[in-house]
Amino acid sequence: MNKAMILNPTRPVWPGFSSSKSLCGDANCMEQLLLHCANAIESNDATLAQQTIWVISNLASSDGDSTQRLASSLLRALISRAATRSPAFSFLSAAPVSQETLHRFSVIELASFVDLTPWHRFGFIAANAAILDAVKGYSSVHIVDLSLTHCMQIPTLIDSMATKLINKGQPPPLLKLTVVLAESPPPPLLGISYEELGLKLVSFATTRNIAMEFRIIYSSYSDGLSSLIEQLRLDPLVCNEALVVNCHMMLHYIPHETLSSSRSFFLKELRDLNPTIVTLIEEDADFTSSNFISRLRSLFNYMWIPYDTADTFLTCGSEQRQWYEADIGWRIDNVVAKEGAERVERLEPKSRWFERMREAEFTGVGFGEEVGREVKTMLEEHASGWGMKKDVDDNDDVERFVLTWKGHSVVFASAWVPISRVDGALSYIEA
Amino acid sequence: MPVELDDYSTVSGDASVSSTGNQNQNTPAPQSLSKKKRNLPGMPDPEAEVIALSPKTLMATNRFVCEICSKGFQRDQNLQLHRRGHNLPWKLRQRSSKEVKKKVYVCPVSGCVHHEPSRALGDLTGIKKHFCRKHGEKKYKCEKCSKSYAVQSDWKAHSKICGTKEYRCDCGTLFSRRDSFITHRAFCDVLAEESAKKKLYPETYTRKNHLPEPELKSPPAALVDSPPSVALVPAPAVSVETEPEHDETETANIASSSVLPIRDSSESPENITLQVIMEEAPRRIGLNGSNDHNSNNNKSVYAGLFASSSTASPSLYAASSSTPPPSLYPPSSSIEPISLCLSTTTPSLFGATIQDPPPPHFLTPMSLPPPQPAISATALLQKAAQMGSTGSGGSLLRGLGIVSTTSSPMELSSSHDTGFGLGLGLPCSSGTGLKELMMGNSSVFDPKQTTLDFLGLGRAVGNNNPGGGALWGGGGGMDVFGSGELSDKDISRRSS
Repeated sequence: MNKAMILNPTRPVWPGFSSSKSLCGDANCMEQLLLHCANAIESNDATLAQQTIWVISNLASSDGDSTQRLASSLLRALISRAATRSPAFSFLSAAPVSQETLHRFSVIELASFVDLTPWHRFGFIAANAAILDAVKGYSSVHIVDLSLTHCMQIPTLIDSMATKLINKGQPPPLLKLTVVLAESPPPPLLGISYEELGLKLVSFATTRNIAMEFRIIYSSYSDGLSSLIEQLRLDPLVCNEALVVNCHMMLHYIPHETLSSSRSFFLKELRDLNPTIVTLIEEDADFTSSNFISRLRSLFNYMWIPYDTADTFLTCGSEQRQWYEADIGWRIDNVVAKEGAERVERLEPKSRWFERMREAEFTGVGFGEEVGREVKTMLEEHASGWGMKKDVDDNDDVERFVLTWKGHSVVFASAWVPISRVDGALSYIEA
Repeated sequence: MPVELDDYSTVSGDASVSSTGNQNQNTPAPQSLSKKKRNLPGMPDPEAEVIALSPKTLMATNRFVCEICSKGFQRDQNLQLHRRGHNLPWKLRQRSSKEVKKKVYVCPVSGCVHHEPSRALGDLTGIKKHFCRKHGEKKYKCEKCSKSYAVQSDWKAHSKICGTKEYRCDCGTLFSRRDSFITHRAFCDVLAEESAKKKLYPETYTRKNHLPEPELKSPPAALVDSPPSVALVPAPAVSVETEPEHDETETANIASSSVLPIRDSSESPENITLQVIMEEAPRRIGLNGSNDHNSNNNKSVYAGLFASSSTASPSLYAASSSTPPPSLYPPSSSIEPISLCLSTTTPSLFGATIQDPPPPHFLTPMSLPPPQPAISATALLQKAAQMGSTGSGGSLLRGLGIVSTTSSPMELSSSHDTGFGLGLGLPCSSGTGLKELMMGNSSVFDPKQTTLDFLGLGRAVGNNNPGGGALWGGGGGMDVFGSGELSDKDISRRSS
């Protein structure tokens, strides 16, 4: 319980335990250790906590294999949690993971960053295909892009619009892009202003003969994007305009029931705007438990994936890997060390999201064979562990895509249209 | 199969397989006697003899070894011919006249698809390659990308096509996928500048009722004296890329052809044309936040970004105009996607036009305001000539007071020397003015950010390896499962 113990840590007392590095490859063991540590922290057992911390710190390494790096990041977060939340652990010093240390990407860097793995490109392809399908025939397309990747999906969408929406001499539709700028967005952080970003996009659209307008709305995910909704309500109704809401890994920053009821509320508000299509791409994991231990377990069982995939494309010590892993570290820290409104990484599993969408009176639409082929072709360019599975939800019989790494679900892609409210019958709205 | 010797059994004799069992795999019709039909791969002739070779045999490349010098050969015939050289008895086997029983081969690895006799491969070379590919170590690595192969012929085949079907951005970065190429291209500074300049000309002509041959009227002397200075404004047209989707190529080509040569013409339109050309640049620049404007102007420009919802635009910035987050508003001089940025201080050439208010519709085509009647073309060009002659490098912009930093040139020159910064297509020698422009440009930027941009490009350009991230040789090459964890089937992450 005192500093002497840190300097001369006692040997842990579990039977049969060895601190040799031969265990470092065993993810199960690592997971157990981390859970022990978490339990110790939650129960204010400083001795046990110290012991576990000592053991884990011997096994974990920020330069080791994926399990070691994951453990290193989790350990740091656990220490941070302990130090900030309980006086019993005040002797621990935690270097807080703050946004200041995170890399700010230039657009070019971000463009190549999002293509390091299919993590984002998967969602881009699926969403763009669904969007393109849904907006055929409209003379104006208004896209509200709620994306973690700062509009990286848009260039390919513009390109597709330019090539596929040309209709017998008719010009392609007018493109309006609305983006949301939040106070402190999660990583990856963009190093230029959204105005500049918009300029580049509009410029690019012009080279493709697409007239484009760009607008930034200040809104906050923590309040359910209320100012966005308000603004969208105020937009004048334009004849023959499609409203597209593209949600790419951002909706989980809207608090859900344990904090506030904003998430479902937002979806219902969205429904009231009668969008032509809503695409929902999210990571398939559950970080919503209010029980810290189960949250940690979920975290461990999901976050090994980004560390594991990093091994396939980035050499140890490369700058991109550092940025990549720093961003992951930030997220881990957020789930472990933060609570309340500060804890923003509240991933929900696919099934729960689908429930919400249905509650909000949306119904799912499938993606089609061609998109599946396109995704698979893309996956072939990446490491062989990536795959895609088609997933039919029991509730609505719609086939959706899930990106997988070594068989484990990573990201799901879904598309939704409003259910008509008249007659009580289920029918698609012709906007 | 631990045995060294080959095992024999027949496909149809195998207990687990019957000849009828093969039928449901769409076995092709019985082979005609006149022509040997190839069976589908992995669906062998039911009457064929199944041979299971050991891994060692399969991996062996040179199975026939000379007893004298131990030189290995892949075929017995070759060994025999070699033995002649040692004056050893040799015999070339003739192709046997009787029908040889067809042999098919299975993969020795249990659990593999081709381990089953019903999925045996009919070709010895085929089974060897299969074994290497699926169960062997990938020893051959492509130099250009990160892919590696176990079979040498696969590697050779890949090397032939590697780098051929690729997308290359003008900044030099290579992409193997179109969508990553498009995404990059949308944000690549080099392209943004080019396309912005290209835009100036088509719009000019469309608004001028498609002037068939816009020409520059000017006293030849003035232009000839200082080509670089004139080259500045029209220069972009030289670099016009002919994209198929652009139907303005015709007008663009006209622009490029008419720029440098001076033709005589007495028509008045070209005065306006030249003026407009000269004016468009500053107008655009003005839109981009020329320092002549205060931040209010910037706001109105951006408010105009969403022009069609006029009720919306006030609310865009109304709520925030009082205290916009500092990160959002770039320093007024920092937005320069168009390299024709003339920084602040010297309106001399374009002064007449900078005072104009920016148009309400920003960066939407066809919405440029009409040109201002102003200085005549002659006067403008004369001024240009004067500026050019006073500048030390003949650079128009130096005359206009653009600062040229010394740090950025080093970045650019060290990273890539094909003049990517001059991706505008200008020959390097005459491009000094522009190069300086771009460096001077970069001084106007937040230097760190530009560094990142340039470095981002330069890094990708000067460092064409997978680590750079831009060249997608494909992560597939970097096989994490080199130890054989990932087979066709089980992909468990827990592997120790």
